Amino acid sequence: MINIRDFKQIEEYLYEVPATFRKDMRVPARFYSDPQLLHGVLGDRSLEQLVNTATLPGVVKYVLAMPDLHQGYGFPIGGVVATKLPDGAISPGGVGYDINCGVRLLATHLDHDEVNPYIDDLASALYTNCPSGVGKGGSLGLQSKELDQLLETGTHWALKRGYATESDIERTEESGCLEGADAGKVSQRAKDRGKNQVGTLGAGNHFIEVDVVDKVLDDSAARGIGLFPGKIAVQIHCGSRGLGHQVCGDYVKRFQKSITKYGFQLPDRELVYAPLSSPEGQDYLAAMKAAANYAFVNRQVLTFHVRRGFEQALAGKVKNYRVYQIYDIAHNMAKIETHLIDGRKVEVCVHRKGATRAFGPGSKVLPAAYRDIGQPVLVPGSMGTSSWVLLGTDSSMTQTFGSTCHGAGRTMSRKKAKKTVHGAGLRETLEAAGIRVRAGSLPGLAEEAPIAYKDVNRVVNVVHAAGIAKMVAQLRPIAVIKG
Amino acid sequence: MESHHKIGFREIEHTADAALKVYGDTFEQLLLNAACGMNSLMVKDIDVLIPRIKKYIDIEAQDTESLLVEWLSELAFWAETELLVFTRFNFLKVTTVRVQAMVAGARAKNIEKHIKAVTYHDLKIIKSARGLETTIVFDV
Repeated sequence: MINIRDFKQIEEYLYEVPATFRKDMRVPARFYSDPQLLHGVLGDRSLEQLVNTATLPGVVKYVLAMPDLHQGYGFPIGGVVATKLPDGAISPGGVGYDINCGVRLLATHLDHDEVNPYIDDLASALYTNCPSGVGKGGSLGLQSKELDQLLETGTHWALKRGYATESDIERTEESGCLEGADAGKVSQRAKDRGKNQVGTLGAGNHFIEVDVVDKVLDDSAARGIGLFPGKIAVQIHCGSRGLGHQVCGDYVKRFQKSITKYGFQLPDRELVYAPLSSPEGQDYLAAMKAAANYAFVNRQVLTFHVRRGFEQALAGKVKNYRVYQIYDIAHNMAKIETHLIDGRKVEVCVHRKGATRAFGPGSKVLPAAYRDIGQPVLVPGSMGTSSWVLLGTDSSMTQTFGSTCHGAGRTMSRKKAKKTVHGAGLRETLEAAGIRVRAGSLPGLAEEAPIAYKDVNRVVNVVHAAGIAKMVAQLRPIAVIKG
Repeated sequence: MESHHKIGFREIEHTADAALKVYGDTFEQLLLNAACGMNSLMVKDIDVLIPRIKKYIDIEAQDTESLLVEWLSELAFWAETELLVFTRFNFLKVTTVRVQAMVAGARAKNIEKHIKAVTYHDLKIIKSARGLETTIVFDV
């Protein structure tokens, strides 16, 4: 366990465990926090897990954790680790089992008052149209050749099949298609798990949420990205489903064998890695990209279902129920990027495990609409609380390899949450607060109770004050759909 | 030999995911108790399931810990894809790197907790006064 004596405060919201803390650390471990969030972090093993990542071969500058940091397995949730090409480590555990778990934000021109009379119908239509829960397949049921095409071409597959628009694709990280994805590197078992799950939400902390744009803090930026006060928006939070989980599991298993070649003592077997340039490292990268493309398509097909839900609930009742895309971001991913380190441009593999890319203004990889203002960052809060839309900054590029937080971050175990909160009671409380709830599992709902999470406003305050993202707008939930 | 589990696991705290402490006099019993522990996470009323669907499982791994991960991953695969939960385990042959078993189970109406993956996080099977014990973290 790491305690308060083991690290120092180096800026108002930034702390550092020096590289001298443990012999096997190659770089310092830094984390963004405030005194209250810090107290929570000291209650679990997240800092120890962060320090473990500082031992990985090829790691550069420092390892980082965002203020939503909490204990995971291997890497902590909220961790950012960059390793140098060509031989630095790539670690499947540093991406996680839910490869390209992420968030999509959709918006509308609908006022809250216009939708409010039909909100029950809308919540039910979304729940009916968007399959959720364990074992609930999607409506697509793909043959193997088509699944391979989906894995290699991502949202371009969805465009061809009529599930996407050009504008959706333009406003998706990497345009929803990572180059170099290779379906041949994805196992048959992964494909078996994924073939019936395209366009499904799954369970756990995944959700669809109808929100109101409650507060705009940067009017010009909000208008620039298409958000207006009082209008209805929708968030989709999910990932690559069983296919991604299996890809990660397959390569964690394969790397357990290959790691013996590199003579490195792992502090935790879940941190297992391969050098990026090795055949197994390259295979994982190609398979991970395929799983990431699957996740982009999954959120895209869910978007199609959301649009259908809006049509079913609102056609003939309101003037314009068009749903347009603001952005889609990944928060479990490893990406090859170029960053300025000690004054030199260096190609690195940035692992973001429960952290969001937050590129600042001027980045050439951003869609034209966002190039001058910076990348939209989507930070969902816990169920029933606010969510945030932020923008990446110049400072996030220099401080955090262009990264920021990804959510509120858990603070209470699922076991304790279930003991503390009654699912049916929670649903009543949320409904009384004006939030419609459609959930397949009440115990599952209890596990995701707001009490189990940190205060998202506090998390966002830290990243804003530290300069690694900029507040734009706050969203307030009015309907939640969960598996 | 057919094994009948006695309580050989307990759920322990984990901030984000789910974790089990599992015990067993032998490795075979550890495999059995781990499977029952995972079932307890996935399904509420396990006793109502009548084990009529049988499957033969044959898994090899590079070491004992990996074998435990592979064993549970196999069972989690059937739960995710077919809601199939196995409750009877007839171990035909168990070594430190291979398990062959005939398992029987039933389709659950509902899986309450989705086991996305069985992790290697801090995974060690250690000998204790109670025999063998280990802690398994599940991504849920």
